[in-house]
Amino acid sequence: MRVADVSIALEQEVRRLLAWEAYCLDRKLWDDWLALFSDDAEYWAPAWATEEEVTSDPGRELSLIYLRGKGGIEDRIFRIRARDSLASVPLDRTAHVLTEPVITKVEAHQVEAGCSWITHVYSQRGIATLGGYTDYLFHRDPDGLKISRKRVVLIDDRLDLPVDVYHL
Amino acid sequence: MNHVDIDIAALVDDRLDQGVFRVDKRVYFDPALFELEIKRLFENNWVFLCHESQIAKPGDYFTTHAGRHPVAVVRQPDATIRAFLNVCSHRGSVLLPFRQGKLDGGINCRFHGWAFGMDGKCQGITLERAGGYPGGAADKQHFDLDSFAAVENYRGFIFGSLNKPPIDLRSYLGPASTFIDLFADQAPEGMEVLRGSSTYVCRHNWKMQVENVPDGYHVPTVHRVFGTTMTHREQRPGYEGMLRTETGRIVGGVKTGCYDLDHGHMLLWADRASPEAAPIYPASERIERDLPPAMARWMLKRGRNLNVFPNLVLNDLASTHMRTHRPLAPDLTEVTVWCLAPIGEPDDARYARLRKFEDFFLVTGMATSDDLVSLNIVHEGAMATQRQWIDFQRGIGTVRNGPDEEAMELGIQPLTSNTSWTHETPYHGLYRYWLRALTENRGGQK
Repeated sequence: MRVADVSIALEQEVRRLLAWEAYCLDRKLWDDWLALFSDDAEYWAPAWATEEEVTSDPGRELSLIYLRGKGGIEDRIFRIRARDSLASVPLDRTAHVLTEPVITKVEAHQVEAGCSWITHVYSQRGIATLGGYTDYLFHRDPDGLKISRKRVVLIDDRLDLPVDVYHL
Repeated sequence: MNHVDIDIAALVDDRLDQGVFRVDKRVYFDPALFELEIKRLFENNWVFLCHESQIAKPGDYFTTHAGRHPVAVVRQPDATIRAFLNVCSHRGSVLLPFRQGKLDGGINCRFHGWAFGMDGKCQGITLERAGGYPGGAADKQHFDLDSFAAVENYRGFIFGSLNKPPIDLRSYLGPASTFIDLFADQAPEGMEVLRGSSTYVCRHNWKMQVENVPDGYHVPTVHRVFGTTMTHREQRPGYEGMLRTETGRIVGGVKTGCYDLDHGHMLLWADRASPEAAPIYPASERIERDLPPAMARWMLKRGRNLNVFPNLVLNDLASTHMRTHRPLAPDLTEVTVWCLAPIGEPDDARYARLRKFEDFFLVTGMATSDDLVSLNIVHEGAMATQRQWIDFQRGIGTVRNGPDEEAMELGIQPLTSNTSWTHETPYHGLYRYWLRALTENRGGQK
């Protein structure tokens, strides 16, 4: 794997998109966040299989979150919006901090990129800092880049608090 | 031997004939009681260690804890299973650093390099001859790793007791063993723990994890949002067949019940409103052919949540899970959960089982996350001792001694049966056993 040789314009486009995603999550702009995903998007947070390896086959092994299609992601927001989930009332406060994204592959209509992140979480139930790295697959459609796959590796393997999609 | 200043017997107010069963809130947070629980229930009693699929081949090991003691469970070359402390007999460092793995012939301490066999026997002491041991050599036998007093495999579930257990495992499990059979018998090749797990730390007493197992009463409130979210989801295509969520239990209207299975074991059951949505459904024909009718009926048509006291939970509701909890402090409990599935399960059933597991049973999911917080706020409220007692009254009017019809069908003898999963009578058994285990004189026990 190596860093792809890409235009400054593309780098800037990806950087903006990821910064905007974090902005939406921290400010709880759910509709804007959902609009970032393509209809067939896959959202996957693998579980840790060993101290050093995460699971690799969501069909036969456990994941922390595996959502297929934008609808699956919307379900998580539906639950948050219902204001009926103990873990989500009151909502946790989050602050995402991202590294500079690295673009690893560019094809005709697709871009692959990754970044690392830290989310500071404040809740009534305590304070936590979660960390991890995320690989994105973007698909270019007429409105610009859409997220068609988000694979989040949450490095914390002993969670102190419930973790939802807005923490990652 | 009992260094607890409070009168333990007075913490459980058991006057069922007067309609009273209540527990003093101190059972959740008193530090001296907690120490006694660790000793009596986790270090001098049967505890769940691991599932046999986690140590399938000779040399495979799994590390866990019995109370405060780090433990290694090792599959021996002759296929038997041994458990010993995962702690070096020299200076006490933890030996195996991984949750699970394969031994390369034996165990080498990472601190001073002492060598132990797969059986825990001390085989080599680094620089022994130059060690200036009394008499010129070390007494290696003295340095064997500390073995468990008892290890037993019941239908794939490995239990051990660090010190001499009060009774044998089969007697200890009692009628709970039939409910373990209802997991073990789901596939001819048995069950396996799937790769990947989730561990989380709860800010509540470990007994609240235990109490939540037969608590169907919280389901229509705490998991109402899960039900409405699934109903919303299933308006879209793509959630048919086994991918459909069994919301019947959440909204009510199915027959339910609960049992006190003695020794702190408890079971909750609820009929499946839509058995065809369960991942086991495609195996129905085989199960109905191979198993006694009552076993098949219970396996296919009735969801179950089993607590094997003190630290195993086996849940067969929307999916199948195996969970263990480890008390860290009176207000801190570490929980680990795995998906347990039939070996050789078809891809579509496995896919549905995993998705249902993730949707519900994880703190990154949409229901267990709500359980976690609900139990945390219960613990927080337990500190409010102005109201001293937690009353377990629900079901006192309907409880019966012995089996109900469903239990008779299975041929088991629960101490009590009750007519709804919202009843609290299993807790009477839980706290009666808890009290007995903490107070009775058990000759020869530490």
